Amino acid sequence: MIDYFALLGIERRPFIADEFLKNAYLLKTESSRADKSDVDALSSLNMAFRTLSNPVTRVQHLLTVEFGDARGGQLGSDLGELFGTVVEALQAVDGEIGSLSAQSSALLRAMAFQRIDAVRGKLDDAEAELSSREQSLLADIRSIDEAWCENRAQCKAPLAQVALSLTFVQKWLSEVRERKIRLEELA
Amino acid sequence: MNDIVGIDLGTTNSLIGVMDSGFPILIADRDGKRLTPSVVYFPESGEPIVGAAADRMRAFSPDRTVFSVKRLIGRRPGESEKEDFPFAVRSQGGRMLVEVGDNLLKPEELSSLVLKKLKGDAELSIGCPVSRAVITVPAYFNDLQRQATMRAGELAGFTVERIVNEPTAAALAYGLDRLSDRSRIAVYDLGGGTFDISILELNDGIFRVLSTNGNTRLGGDDIDRELVRLLKERITARHPELRPELENKLFLARLREVAHSAKVHLSTEDVVQVEVPFLSGNHSFSYNLTRQELEAIARPIIRRTRSHCLRSLDDAKLDPLKLDEVILVGGVTRMPIVRQFVAEVFQRLPNIPQNPDEAVAVGATIQAGILSGQIQNVVLLDVTPLSLGIETFGGLMNVLIPRNSTIPCKAGEMFTNAVTNQTAMQIVVLQGERELAKDNWELGRFELEFEPVSKGLARVGVQFEIDSNGILHVLARDIQTGREKVVDLHSAVDVADEAVEKMIAESLDHAFDDMSERLWTETVLKSNELLPAVRSALTLVGDQIEPDEQRKINALVLQVETALKSHDQRRLKQANSDLDEGTQQLATLLIDRAMAEAARRKR
Repeated sequence: MIDYFALLGIERRPFIADEFLKNAYLLKTESSRADKSDVDALSSLNMAFRTLSNPVTRVQHLLTVEFGDARGGQLGSDLGELFGTVVEALQAVDGEIGSLSAQSSALLRAMAFQRIDAVRGKLDDAEAELSSREQSLLADIRSIDEAWCENRAQCKAPLAQVALSLTFVQKWLSEVRERKIRLEELA
Repeated sequence: MNDIVGIDLGTTNSLIGVMDSGFPILIADRDGKRLTPSVVYFPESGEPIVGAAADRMRAFSPDRTVFSVKRLIGRRPGESEKEDFPFAVRSQGGRMLVEVGDNLLKPEELSSLVLKKLKGDAELSIGCPVSRAVITVPAYFNDLQRQATMRAGELAGFTVERIVNEPTAAALAYGLDRLSDRSRIAVYDLGGGTFDISILELNDGIFRVLSTNGNTRLGGDDIDRELVRLLKERITARHPELRPELENKLFLARLREVAHSAKVHLSTEDVVQVEVPFLSGNHSFSYNLTRQELEAIARPIIRRTRSHCLRSLDDAKLDPLKLDEVILVGGVTRMPIVRQFVAEVFQRLPNIPQNPDEAVAVGATIQAGILSGQIQNVVLLDVTPLSLGIETFGGLMNVLIPRNSTIPCKAGEMFTNAVTNQTAMQIVVLQGERELAKDNWELGRFELEFEPVSKGLARVGVQFEIDSNGILHVLARDIQTGREKVVDLHSAVDVADEAVEKMIAESLDHAFDDMSERLWTETVLKSNELLPAVRSALTLVGDQIEPDEQRKINALVLQVETALKSHDQRRLKQANSDLDEGTQQLATLLIDRAMAEAARRKR
């Protein structure tokens, strides 16, 4: 297992500012391209940047290099409820998409337009809710980051919990956004 | 001399360039032309002819003049259109082959003829042999299409130093004299046959691609095809007796040429007179085509680029206002409607390069300069356009390398035996974004060999590596024995191909059994959807249309209802499509109404 923090020459922490991480990566990449490093070295740098860029994979990697595993946490009931709303919105959209994509008639599309507007509203609501959840989870990472230096072991469980919740929120967000694009395609 | 040339191998046109005292220069052929049509003409005897001379033969010898080969390269049968070409396309041994006279040619062989011609032009101009090349491909090309392009280069006698994505190359051309800039740009590349959108960050000489998206079967060719359809309709409206004549290959080739040139002229004119002389005997056809008419058929095609733009913005985690510039590349972006469309999607006026056809070739040449060391302080970080994964239990795709990962990159996966003494396991390698394995491209499959040991004890690690060309390499390593094996996906592909073809053939055979019955049922379904929709649309907005229009629609409804009783599938289909056509205005009114309502709600 490669320690990506070490590879990019940065401190192991739950939070890293985007700009700081990018600069560290670009600096390493430029110098390793200049000495014609092999594909393996370049791949590892690319992988390190990708892993540390996303807060979820960054925290999971941090837990793995620090404690040996990234397991822990569980899906809270608040997220479970949110999941219900998200699924409902996704299903409503899929229903519309399914009924429409087979048709070519301008009139049928026009008739569906109003229904689509309603399901798009549901998606927007789900997206707004998920985005605010994402923001608050990211804020959690920052506050855990502040406690990190004093007691790493104490941070383990809360970090694993945040990473797990964030995994779900991100996954749902990308599903919601993809549906919005598909609706755009139909309109 | 050790020059590397840069080549834009386009669907419609190709170009070649070379670095000259630190600057990328595009090379002209003997006639002084830099654009070489990607067309090959095979005379009855003698060597094939490539370029402008071949292009002129399209209307005279349509079955011996091969063009738009890029639509076939690296494609499987069943995946690509066959009927669309005036020359013969066959599938054999799991490949798409072009048949000219007695010759069966692979797409990469045809492309290599274009590359050879460019090579000759470059050698003549530089005065010494060239053997190394950078060749561009659409960013959204998959592994098979990239490999086939690389083979085309090798067949032409090149060592292919790098395969570069077209929009990335265009970004290099744009950014070379702005190296100290820090900016984010989008490259909108709509060519003859393919569409790409890439978003890049330029940062002190580092060109980093953030995301890319596209469609390798969307381009100017599609607009030409629709325009041909429109002209055919106009001709039959005036000369119904010429209907059979219109299916003549020679005539269609001429019409396509006329359509294409009309399209080009309508980028700068508002109306153009389309002339088809001596249509048949002494009939000639002349028609005033307006830009409006062209735009009406181009709009739905161009609109299809929208979702790709939205996905690439989403993947780059940017909204359009965070971009500093949107650059247009590809000949089709000369159309005013494309420029308006891009302005609308990205909420800004696009940057229009002087020669949108040349940016990619200039960029390929710059990449050649980077590789040969003539250009320094420029670093290119490109991405893989499609997610790479393997098929898992239940027919799902397990992503190992997500799309938009910076290349080169690699991912490893460990496999073990599920039962004692199992000696092999089949791995299916996929590329694509869909959840189900079968909805993605299968790059190939290979057998993983195990030592005969107890269940769960075998350990074989497989490493998937995507190199700087975006091409996949697979390495299997047995952890216990330490044996390593480079997996050849390619040979496996051919086998799989034949199976696929057999499957397609079987399903086709089967389909004919109940074809007529199925067609009738489908057509009836369509009518049953359409009729109530028309009725409720008339109740909603019927008062907003002229009484004449209402009567016309009612007549069309009656036509469908009578056809429903006739059991004549063709008649019903025609009635459906007439009704469909006749209710366009109604549809527009409905959408207007819905939009007004939506706006009211938001307020």
